[in-house]
Amino acid sequence: MTIGTESRATTGTGTRLRAQRPERRPEQRLERRCRSLLRVYPRGYRDGYGEELIGTLLDTAEPGRTFPSFHESLALVRGGLRARVEYAAVGAPWVDGLHLGTLILAVANLAYLMPFIGTIPLWVGMSAFLVLAVMRGRLWMALPLSALIGLKAGSVALGVPLLDPTLLPVVSADLWNRPAMYGVGGPVAPVITHGLLFLGIAALAVRRERVKARSWWWWAAVPVLTFSDPASLNVAAQGVGTMSRIALEAALLLAAVFAGYTARDSRWAIAAAIYLVSMLAIPVENLAGNLIPYTGQDVAHWLSLILLTAAASAMPYQAGRQILL
Amino acid sequence: MFSAMAKGPTVSEPTYFILAALLDGPLHGHGIIKRTLALSDNRVKLPVGTLYGALDRLAAGGLIAVDREEVVDGRPRRYFVITDEGRGVVSAEALRMAQAATVVISRIPRPGATFS
Repeated sequence: MTIGTESRATTGTGTRLRAQRPERRPEQRLERRCRSLLRVYPRGYRDGYGEELIGTLLDTAEPGRTFPSFHESLALVRGGLRARVEYAAVGAPWVDGLHLGTLILAVANLAYLMPFIGTIPLWVGMSAFLVLAVMRGRLWMALPLSALIGLKAGSVALGVPLLDPTLLPVVSADLWNRPAMYGVGGPVAPVITHGLLFLGIAALAVRRERVKARSWWWWAAVPVLTFSDPASLNVAAQGVGTMSRIALEAALLLAAVFAGYTARDSRWAIAAAIYLVSMLAIPVENLAGNLIPYTGQDVAHWLSLILLTAAASAMPYQAGRQILL
Repeated sequence: MFSAMAKGPTVSEPTYFILAALLDGPLHGHGIIKRTLALSDNRVKLPVGTLYGALDRLAAGGLIAVDREEVVDGRPRRYFVITDEGRGVVSAEALRMAQAATVVISRIPRPGATFS
């Protein structure tokens, strides 16, 4: 934020002032609801300007009102989301975008491996540690993990035992109803994904500058993605696993479009592009080798990923031509 | 005429009225909302979430600045002031709209002109 009152955020003036103010009941109820809505704003913004916004909200509310109006609530949610995006858009976009992209690949990899935890617990555990290391910005810890996991994944995909005597093919427990690990499609797509993951982490690690710790909420994506294999998505069948993956992809890509437009910044498009390359490697390899027949719904899914990523990439430039407010 | 008018940043109506409200002197958030409402004949009622987002962006763009801070009735309050750049932007926008209005107004008959 550029408005010159950052000092308020550190002194906590607003919090101290709030306790001194005597209030009547309807206003108290309105204030409590306004405070709930203000949670959409990032904590740093709330610490700095939250009390001022509460004061203005109470000053502008009609007497006796106990709920903020729908119009006002919508504006607060919109303003809070914009503030969150602007607070997130700090540092070099390519570094942050690469970090986010590698985290998404690490999360998707862990989700893919979860059904095989009974067969290869060590590698699944290492993949979970990889997610944690990337998420918290421990890149030099993540780099060897990524290399080992990538080698193991490549060996399984190519059908060559390596590093430990894992029995091939690697199968999941019956309850998952999943094909064998990397048993659908060719070996190139998994190798590309793990190559991207390793190279992304390496590019960040050699800079020797810390990257920011990312939200713990990324762990929530693991169970959502676990119930689908990206190599054998059957969109036409509309299984719960496939639909939840598509819904999460669409939600995150739409968020990337919104964030790119709001902050005029390309970091989210970079992260989306990394995921897109990893995902598109699957149909490209399968189509080239005539390995899997795809339906029109499958093609629509791939096209939607491309279009949303393209939209996220275009937004920073489009937003530059937009109005000031 | 319109090619010249299209240059420079385009200003939305809320932004225009926020800048116009600050032309008479520094105002705090609630003051801007009241002044904007008065200037627009009760047409532009800025929600608080929209107002502060706009103030942040206008300050980031150098069109307004924080003049001072006060604590009133136990709550902090920032007063915003328009900068020279902001004054230039809102003036240019006013001129652009005046020129655009002239294009239409000069072509429509005034009330009663037919019979005068």
